[in-house]
Amino acid sequence: MTGALPGVAPMAVPPGAYLVVGTLLFAIGLAGTLLKRNALSIFLSIELMMNAVNLLFLTYARMRGDMAGQMIVFFVIAIAAAEASVGLAIFVALFRVRRTVDVDEIALLKW
Amino acid sequence: MPALSGELVVFTIASILAIGFALAMVLQKTPVRSVLSLVVTFFGLAIFSIQLAAPFIAVLQVFVYAGAILVLFLFVIMLLNLSQEATEEDARPIQRRLGFVAALALGGVLSGAALRAPMPKGVAPAITPLADEIPMIGRLLFSDYLLAFEALSFLLLVAAVGALLLSKRRFE
Amino acid sequence: MNQFWLIPVLPLAGFVVNGLVALLAASGRAEAERGQDQPKARLPYGQRLFHGVVGVGSVGLAAVLSFAALVPYVLESLKSPEGLAPVVQHVYTWMAAGDYTVEVAFRLDALSALMLSFVTFVGTLIHVYSVGYMQDEEGYGRYFAYLNLFMFAMLTLVLADNLPLLFVGWEGVGLCSYLLIGYYYDKDFAVAAGKKAFIANRVGDLGMVLGIFGIFALFGTADFSFVELAKRAALAPGAHISVYAVCLLLFLGACGKSAQVPLYVWLPDAMAGPTPVSALIHAATMVTAGVYLVARCSAVFVLAPDALTLVAWIGAGTAIFAASIGLAQNDIKKVLAYSTVSQLGYMFLACGVGAFSAGMFHVFTHAFFKACLFLGSGSVIMSMHHEQDMTKMGGLSSRIPQTFRTMLAATLAIAGIFPLAGFFSKDAILGATAASGHWALYAVGLFTAGLTAFYMFRLVSMTFFGKARGDAHAHEHAHESPATMTVPLWILAAFSIVAGFLGVPAALGGTDRIGRFLEASVAHPEIGEMSHGVEIGLMLVSLGVAVTGLVWAWRWYGRAEGPPEAVSAQASAFYARTGALGKLVADKWNVDEGIEALVLSPFRKIGTFLWRGFDSLVIDGIANASAFLVELAGDLMRFFTTGHVRNYALAFSLGALVFILYVWVR
Repeated sequence: MTGALPGVAPMAVPPGAYLVVGTLLFAIGLAGTLLKRNALSIFLSIELMMNAVNLLFLTYARMRGDMAGQMIVFFVIAIAAAEASVGLAIFVALFRVRRTVDVDEIALLKW
Repeated sequence: MPALSGELVVFTIASILAIGFALAMVLQKTPVRSVLSLVVTFFGLAIFSIQLAAPFIAVLQVFVYAGAILVLFLFVIMLLNLSQEATEEDARPIQRRLGFVAALALGGVLSGAALRAPMPKGVAPAITPLADEIPMIGRLLFSDYLLAFEALSFLLLVAAVGALLLSKRRFE
Repeated sequence: MNQFWLIPVLPLAGFVVNGLVALLAASGRAEAERGQDQPKARLPYGQRLFHGVVGVGSVGLAAVLSFAALVPYVLESLKSPEGLAPVVQHVYTWMAAGDYTVEVAFRLDALSALMLSFVTFVGTLIHVYSVGYMQDEEGYGRYFAYLNLFMFAMLTLVLADNLPLLFVGWEGVGLCSYLLIGYYYDKDFAVAAGKKAFIANRVGDLGMVLGIFGIFALFGTADFSFVELAKRAALAPGAHISVYAVCLLLFLGACGKSAQVPLYVWLPDAMAGPTPVSALIHAATMVTAGVYLVARCSAVFVLAPDALTLVAWIGAGTAIFAASIGLAQNDIKKVLAYSTVSQLGYMFLACGVGAFSAGMFHVFTHAFFKACLFLGSGSVIMSMHHEQDMTKMGGLSSRIPQTFRTMLAATLAIAGIFPLAGFFSKDAILGATAASGHWALYAVGLFTAGLTAFYMFRLVSMTFFGKARGDAHAHEHAHESPATMTVPLWILAAFSIVAGFLGVPAALGGTDRIGRFLEASVAHPEIGEMSHGVEIGLMLVSLGVAVTGLVWAWRWYGRAEGPPEAVSAQASAFYARTGALGKLVADKWNVDEGIEALVLSPFRKIGTFLWRGFDSLVIDGIANASAFLVELAGDLMRFFTTGHVRNYALAFSLGALVFILYVWVR
């Protein structure tokens, strides 16, 4: 593959534990996305979900001894930065028009 | 039960931190408190990254994510003066209930699936010392992932320009 | 010369040039005349010259090339007793499927050389005639373009080396027939006649196509090498029933094109087209394509004797049937049309009794005298200011002498008077019929010869002899046609006189050159021997019958002095004498009405039912119902677009959940 992980030793913590924590964090983030009403909070929850996924990637990278996982995480972090900036700019613009960031108020595209 | 070691202890503490403050983030009413809870969660994740032999990622996590992105969030919150949080009841309780169920179910299913999936055996023995990690990452970025890297830089440029344009006041 | 492809392509080029120029000129004229209601006028001289030169020149050049190709071939083949091998020019591969290919290739052998000779020669003469005849028409360029296109198709048909290419020409001549019959497109009856011709042809074409498939199935090839295979009876095993079917199918195609019963109905109506078109297409060339097809496939027909018998009976039946109708027609062109159908019946009779070369000989001679008759009738019509009804003619022999003399010669030829061409070819047919033992068919053929002589001389008598009837003004101004029209008449009349000498039978001391020439290409089944004495006796009998017919016709129609009532009195006397039968004959045996009632009416009813009952209700119903269902579904699905983002996110999650579960469980 891409390259072996440098300087590693066998894992002391079973990898399953990492996976469980990761999926748990993902579930929490998902709950936040579905249940919060503030648009910014929803966005934060989405960030949490992405990081949970990062954790999973790192776990698998460690398990397989492959650097590819870490590279993916690298890119994900960079892209998250870009996405956050644009998203927040949208929120700012939205707020100027609607004076609110409550998603339930911004339901224009209904039948 | 795995053998008790320092690593295990650190892992336990970090996971308690991460999960706990994640829950806090979701349950908080004020956006500012949510952001701060998330910062702590990210620190926990950074600890995980170190444990998973990805120190560079850990540093990135703290600098970029916690340090830049979440700060950006704080800026926006301050800018829009969103300290108050609307607390009226949901007009549609079904969303709450179903959402809860969905999140729970998804979390359960995913972890179950993850655990059941066949794990790769063991780990390849080390062939490069840890100190060579950053050079290795750099090498990879400029060889195997060159296209993605260049595209990423372009993406960042576009995002910067886009953010600027979107937040401009009307062109009067 | 070997470049046979030039022969069809030259008229094609003529078509393209004439067509384009005619189109451009017409659109230019329409621009100039917009708003003014001009009657159709003749084209300016320069344009007519151009169209005429291109039209005549392309065909004339093709004729020259044809003769350059076939004269050496014929001379060479006459030197050796079994003739020459065919010369094939391969142009390109049209279709290829596996090992089998269909080529565009042209073949020159005895049969196609014969067809080529008179098709190009008579065709050129008719083109020259048309220069004079059509000069008042506004569609002059269009006419020559279509005529050239027709020559292209006919020459492709004649020169084709395989059945598919022949079929291309076959369809092409049908198309041009439609275009030219409907040349006067503002006249409803002409348009209807064109459609009738095309549709009747189409019915025959069905048989033709299936026949071609059958030939391919039987012999594994559709190029004329199957003739060799058929001669050796080298069939696919167990194919004997199929041979009958294939022969009948091919004959059906021939019936459509060559106007045999029951597909003859289009030919009389086709007289709505210009007279030179009738001469070329419906007398000399296109209608003979069916006979040509049968002669080409003669080796296959020989393998199915019952099919041949059917051919003979249909031919004889058509001959007498059409002759009977011709007796009572008053339109000069209609008489000639029915005469053509009748003579074509003779040709099929010949093929049916196995005398294929006699049939082709009659094709050859018929082309000359029938074309002469049609062109002559055109000359008569022109001089009588477009009058076609013979009851309004009479006494024209002194006014249009050249037309009179040429038509008289052609009439004697078709009646079978010694020593003109028709005598030899018709007697070859009747002699072969008798020799083969089909005495019933011989009787029919003999009687029809008498009828032929009768109605043809009736035509001549009503037109040229006696007192002038009808419009006195038209009679006074009747004058001979210009040289472009009379010269072809003379040439054709000359050939009508001498063309017979190609086939002088042994009984009269000749060598039957044409029969021996064609031996290489057509089948020569054993017909049966007749002594020369019997043969000469039969010839005298048929000569007597023909003379009887001529004399009778002259007595009834030729010496009518007195006022017009006498003639129509004579005409009704004709019906009175023959009673109900005469009425039936006069009404063309009500065939058209029969077809309308038996075939066309039911089709129309079925069509209407399918339209109202099926198409409107069922198919439209399905379409409308599906649209309605989509609308209904849309109305129901509307409720999912709440506008709340969180609902959408929820939907995502639930969907993802289902998907993961599905993958897991599998």
